[in-house]
Amino acid sequence: MADENVTTEVKAGEGPPPANGEAAAPAPAEAKGDAGDKPPTGYVPAPLPAVASGEGKRKRKKKDVEIAIRLTKVTKRFGPKTAVDQISLKIRAGSVYGLIGPNGAGKTTTFSMLAGFLKPTEGTIEVLGYEPTQVDELRSRIGVLPQDALLPSSDRVGEFLRHMAALQDIPRDRIEDEAREVLAEVDGKDWWNLRCGQLSHGMAKRVQLAQALLGDPEIVLLDEPTAGLDPRVAYEVRQLIKSRRGRCTLVVSSHNLQELEEICDAACILDRGRVVASGSIQELTAASEEIHVKLGPGPVPIALVRELPMVKRVEYDDEKRDLCVYFDRGTVDAETVIGHVLWVLLQNQARISGVTKGRGLEQRVMELT
Amino acid sequence: MSPLAEISLVTQRELRKNLRSAKGIVLAALSLLGGSSVALLMVKYQEFKRRELGELTAEQIHELREKALLKAYGDEAMAKSLADAPEVLLVLLLLTIWLTPLLVALMGFDSVAPDIQHRSVRYWSLRTRRWAYFVGKWAGLWATVSAVTFAMDLVIWLVCIARGEATAAQTLGWGVRFWAISLPMSAIWCGIATLVSSLFRSPILALLLTFAAFFVIWVVYLIAVLAGAEWVAYIYPNHYDHLLLHPQAHKLGAGLGGCLGLTALYVSVGSLLFMKRDV
Repeated sequence: MADENVTTEVKAGEGPPPANGEAAAPAPAEAKGDAGDKPPTGYVPAPLPAVASGEGKRKRKKKDVEIAIRLTKVTKRFGPKTAVDQISLKIRAGSVYGLIGPNGAGKTTTFSMLAGFLKPTEGTIEVLGYEPTQVDELRSRIGVLPQDALLPSSDRVGEFLRHMAALQDIPRDRIEDEAREVLAEVDGKDWWNLRCGQLSHGMAKRVQLAQALLGDPEIVLLDEPTAGLDPRVAYEVRQLIKSRRGRCTLVVSSHNLQELEEICDAACILDRGRVVASGSIQELTAASEEIHVKLGPGPVPIALVRELPMVKRVEYDDEKRDLCVYFDRGTVDAETVIGHVLWVLLQNQARISGVTKGRGLEQRVMELT
Repeated sequence: MSPLAEISLVTQRELRKNLRSAKGIVLAALSLLGGSSVALLMVKYQEFKRRELGELTAEQIHELREKALLKAYGDEAMAKSLADAPEVLLVLLLLTIWLTPLLVALMGFDSVAPDIQHRSVRYWSLRTRRWAYFVGKWAGLWATVSAVTFAMDLVIWLVCIARGEATAAQTLGWGVRFWAISLPMSAIWCGIATLVSSLFRSPILALLLTFAAFFVIWVVYLIAVLAGAEWVAYIYPNHYDHLLLHPQAHKLGAGLGGCLGLTALYVSVGSLLFMKRDV
C-alpha cells in the first residue's frame, strides 16, 4: 500500500523556483521573486529613508538604490579551483536575505566578495551602487560580521569599538556613545574594559556583531552569526537580527536553516559554487502551494481530500504518514486549505499529529544539494 | 574621511599597540639597557683616554679624531664637522644606526602578517583604504622605532651631561641632530619590514624573511663597496649616513631625498601589492 501511493511526478510550472539565472530577493512587504538574466540597469529611488547619522557630504555621495546588492555573473577562482561560478543575484534594499548551502558551496566566498575582502575573478558586484572596495563611498553604510576574523587580542573592547567608530567617520563627540550603544545592544555593556583576548567565543561573537552594527549601516552582512553560540545567546542574536528588520538590508549566511527560515524574506541556495534555487522563503519552501499533514495511526481519507475543490493533487507517504496536499497558490491561501483539509480529516476519524505549510527549508535544501 | 585621517588613526593605534605589547616593552627595555651600558662603557673609555692621552692637548685630540673620521667617511668637510661632536654621541649614532635594522625587524615582522593570518584586517579593510592602512602600519612602526631610539639616546644624553662629557647645549644640539639623522634611514628599514610582513600570513615566516631581506641588502652593499660601485651601495639604508651627516646642505638634501625616495618606493610597492591581494 505504501509505495504505490508515493507520487514523484512534478507538473509543469510546479518545479523549483528559478535557478542559475539572476536570483532576486523580494521587496520586504510583497515577498515577490524577480528573476531574469538581464544585466543590471538603472536605479529608482530607494524605499528606505536616509540614514539619520548621514552627514551632508555623505548624503551627496549616496546613490539611491532599490537593489542594495547586485552580483552579475560573478566567478571566483582560487588557482584551478572554482569556488563561485557565474553567480547572479539581486538583493532588494530593506530585505533580509539568506545565503544557504552545504560546506564548500561558496557562501563565505560570495560573502567575502560582497564585503570587498576578495576580488571576483570575473563579473561585477555592486553594493549600494558602488564597488565593494570603494571604501570612502561605503563608509558607515555597510557593516560586516566576518565568520572567522579574530578580534585584536590586546585591544580592550571599548578601545576597539571606539577605533572602528572613528574610522567610520562618526563625529568625535558621538564615538563613545555609539560604541557603548552597540555594545549594550549585544548585551555586553559590562565588557567595555575587557581585553578582546579574554572574551569567550560567544562574547567575542557579540562584540564582532556590535562592530558590524556601528553607525547604523544600511547593509549588514552576517556570516554565520550564531555559529558556536549556546542556544540562549543564539536566540538573543536572532532577536537582535530580527529587530534590525526594516531598518537595513540584512544578508545572512548560515547553516542553520530553521534560523534562516525564521528571519529571512528570501534566500538563495548555493551548491558547488552555483545558485541552484532562489526566491522568497515562501517560494523556496513552496509554502504557498502545498501543505503537509502528519497523521497518526488510523484511517487516511485521501480520496475525500482529493475531492476538495481547491486541491490540485494529493500525495501520501505511508512510511512517514505524511499527507501532502497541493493547491493553486493564485486562488486560495494555505490557511484556507488547511482548514478544509483538517475538517475532512477530522470528520473521517483521522488522527492528526501536525500540520506544516510547505516543505521546510531544510527539506528543500536536502533535495537540491 | 580623508586618507590622511585614516593614516593618522591607524598610525596612532599601531604606536599604542607596539608600545603596550609585551614585545614592545621588552625591546624598549633592552634598548634602554643597551643605551645605559654604552653610556657606562663610554664613561670608562673617557676615563681611560684621559689617563692615557692626558699629555695630549685638546687640539691634538681633536686632530686625531678628525683623522679617524676622515678615514671612516673619506670626506674632509664631514670629518672636520663631526670632530666637534662629543665622542659619546658619535658612538651612540653608530650604535643607533647599527641597531635600527634589528629593532625594526623585531618590531615590524608582525605589523601586518598576523592581521592577515587571523583575518582581523577585515575589520579595517571595510573602513580604510587598503593603501592608507598599509601606510598607517608603516608610519606606526616608524614612530615606534623612533620613540624607542629616542628613549635610548635620552639616557645617554643625560649620562653625558651628568658626567660633564659635554655641555647640555652641545649634548642636546648634537644628540638631537644625530637622532634626527637616524630617522630617514629607519624609515627605509620600516618600509622593507612592513612590505615583507604584508606578503605573508605567517608572522614567523615574515620574521625570517625580513631578516633574510635585510641580510641580502647588506651583502649587496658589501659587494658594491668592494667593487667600488658607489651608487649601488645606496641600496643599503645605513649608507645614507655619509650624506645625512654632511655639513654641506646639498649633500644633506641628497641624503634626505634618497631616503625619501627609497622609503616611498618600498611603501608604494607594499601598498600596491596589499591593495591587489585578497584578505
